[in-house]
Amino acid sequence: MEAKLSRAAKKLTTSPIQELSHLAQCCNAINLAEGFPDFPAPPHIKNAAVSAINSDFNQYRHVQGICDYLSQMVKEIHGLDINPLTDVAICCGQTEAFAAAIFATIDAGDEVILFDPSYETYEGCITMAGGVPIHVPLDPPQWTLDPSKLLRSLTERTKAIVLNSPHNPTGKVFTKEELETIARACCSQDCLAITDEVYEHITYDTVKHISLATIPGMQERTVITSSLSKTFSVTGWRVGWAIGPAFLASAIRNIHIKVTDSAPAPFQEAALTALRSPPEYFQTLKSDYQSKRDFIVKLLAGVGFKIQFIPQGSIFLFAELPEDCLLSDVEFVKKLILEAGVVAVPGQGFFHANLSSNGISEGSCSYQKRYIRFAFCKSHETLAAVSERLGNLLNGEGFLR
Amino acid sequence: MQVHCTCTHPPMRFAPSSSFPKFIGFSKHFHTLIAPSSPKLSPFVLAATMSTDTLPTQNHTTATTTQRPLQVAKRLEKFKTTIFTQMSSLAIKHGAINLGQGFPNFDGPDFVKEAAIQAIRDGKNQYARGYGIPDLNLAIAERFKKDSGLVVDPEKEVTVTCGCTEAIAATILGLINPGDEVIVFAPFYDSYEATLSMAGANIKCITLRPPEFAVPIEELKSAMSKNTRAIMINTPHNPTGKMFTREELDSIASLCIENDVLVFSDEVYDKLAFDMEHISPASLPGMFERTVTMNSLGKTFSLTGWKIGWAIAPPHLTWGVRQAHSFLTFANSTPMQWATAEALRAPESYYVELKRDYMEKRAILVEGLESVGFKVFPSRGTYFVVVDHTPFGLENDVAFCEYLIKEVGVVAIPVSAFCLDPEDGKNLVRFTFCKDEGTLKAAVKRMKEKLRK
Repeated sequence: MEAKLSRAAKKLTTSPIQELSHLAQCCNAINLAEGFPDFPAPPHIKNAAVSAINSDFNQYRHVQGICDYLSQMVKEIHGLDINPLTDVAICCGQTEAFAAAIFATIDAGDEVILFDPSYETYEGCITMAGGVPIHVPLDPPQWTLDPSKLLRSLTERTKAIVLNSPHNPTGKVFTKEELETIARACCSQDCLAITDEVYEHITYDTVKHISLATIPGMQERTVITSSLSKTFSVTGWRVGWAIGPAFLASAIRNIHIKVTDSAPAPFQEAALTALRSPPEYFQTLKSDYQSKRDFIVKLLAGVGFKIQFIPQGSIFLFAELPEDCLLSDVEFVKKLILEAGVVAVPGQGFFHANLSSNGISEGSCSYQKRYIRFAFCKSHETLAAVSERLGNLLNGEGFLR
Repeated sequence: MQVHCTCTHPPMRFAPSSSFPKFIGFSKHFHTLIAPSSPKLSPFVLAATMSTDTLPTQNHTTATTTQRPLQVAKRLEKFKTTIFTQMSSLAIKHGAINLGQGFPNFDGPDFVKEAAIQAIRDGKNQYARGYGIPDLNLAIAERFKKDSGLVVDPEKEVTVTCGCTEAIAATILGLINPGDEVIVFAPFYDSYEATLSMAGANIKCITLRPPEFAVPIEELKSAMSKNTRAIMINTPHNPTGKMFTREELDSIASLCIENDVLVFSDEVYDKLAFDMEHISPASLPGMFERTVTMNSLGKTFSLTGWKIGWAIAPPHLTWGVRQAHSFLTFANSTPMQWATAEALRAPESYYVELKRDYMEKRAILVEGLESVGFKVFPSRGTYFVVVDHTPFGLENDVAFCEYLIKEVGVVAIPVSAFCLDPEDGKNLVRFTFCKDEGTLKAAVKRMKEKLRK
């Protein structure tokens, strides 16, 4: 009966992130693996959802107000002009917005460029649509984009480039120069760009998130996907969107209607309240997360992790194992769970064998097993508890054994 | 401090990209089979059919001057603005009473809404386990046992999805390969054709005809073969209100077993079974191992906007559904899942009252439609009834519906929208009675006053 599975389903495998969560739960470990908060969502937004349920906003709906607010925000923050009536599709989370964008544009055999390390879901989705994921590696330790690597990966089959910035798992925020490089590639190949900007409001120090669509030549060929989840700590509500030129947004909307028909109605209503949050909300979001980032960087660097790249955005820290640690990332995380009761994600799941690395020796790819991703979207109590538990792994000098 | 368990299956890794060559072979196969009956559309025309309003200006210029790759995917040839949206806009424009779209104008029960509110306040707002929170999977299994007698494993055989619509999408995308032959009964809910074509399936259609919309068994026998991968069944049936009888399901089952065919069963209206008992195909001998049974919260509890649905299937089929689901939406609304578990544990009296209520509504509408002069076909389940409009002398169903909106002020849906071949539906239109009695009576009154033969 296994023969009854589609080819696409047979290719896809379980999420390594989810398996570790299982082991973590069995060991009662503190979960720094999955990227969702353990602190409550903002009360004003929860109240809006409760009020929506009570006011009978419970049937299928499309809340145009979301599109209106998004178009205002996108204009204020990025200077982009979009038409709220035609250029926005509301979806069940950024996940569905991305899936719909892929299904709207990718035919079997189309190549889609991804930057490695990359969030696991993109590849699976592209594969399901019959597309071919092509991974272009970012160069450690700063995760810089080498333009020649990008150019080498372009072919006449390249249909789209996927850009996730701020970036999961590294916390990198792509620079203007890197965005211009990507834009040049898109325009010269006449291909599309699909962006995942879910961490758009979580950037640190003076780093600004720049939307790829703002680079000249890009708005007409870019689909922006994002959601409420990370900005408003409501990852379980499933309200996201795709913004793009009308013909793309319309195609995405049509797919969304066939795949899920409607995003949850009361949460769409609550989104109106969320998107109207005052500037102070976003400032506090940033500063709160920045203090968590600083705490975890200091903690892990203090016990011997190599942190050559401090996250510029997102809720993740991609830390490198100390030189003298002979374990692989997976072995280390197992140890972390069993001896310290803390779980994180081994970085190798985010790296992929890619065509660009053909001919490169095994040695230069060994870095792919040296990184661990820690999520720091947790309460201060949780992070403090992590600090305590890490003690179990330290030697007399306070470094990792 | 909560730790969320989201484990699905034992450790496996992504397949390496040495699978790359397989996809090249794929693309040729795929291109010849997609939408076999429609002509190859140019990028310009594709872009035009995709937009819901006037042609985009700057975008279409780019599409015509550069052949590829700015066009949308070929799979979208079937994805146009739905008839429902068109009719709804027309309805609003003319102030018509909307008996077209299939969702209630009354709300769900308080106890379910309160459960969702409580869940939000209790902080259940983060990602749930992708295939459903354990308590909901359990509640679904418990309810399914009461309804069908089948015992299923909530962890291995139940997958929660964003509504039944996504259960359908995940089932099709997870279990159908490009070129696979799938049989559907027309008229059918519009997402089936679109999603099947997205998966590159080869659709074979069997038309159900009035007055009974009975399954033409001989036709089905010649359509099904060892090449058939799956058959879609929707019972109780949208749009006709038909319920598949035991005899029909027995015949279908023996054909499926003989030819090793899967069954995708959409049972979203199972609690609105009025004139006979609802039978799940999965409960027939030899059928559970090859059936995906799909359902949802929305219709039973009048909360269509909450998007909680599910697919029940043996583990080897559930695997495919879960894979596709994890890349389509990844997780479902957490507070609504908690509330759904409560809902599914409602006492039998809830379901008895629901049925009684809907039967009263059905009576109002059916009597009204008959007295106005429609030929009304018996609706045994769902909240839809299909009628023959030809006594009123209009050319076809679309023309009739437009006339009904503009001149009478009532919305119905042309049944040709649910057919592969519009000719099959041109005499029929669908009304819904999931509206409060006042609305139904007002609609009947308008038709009595203004609809003339």
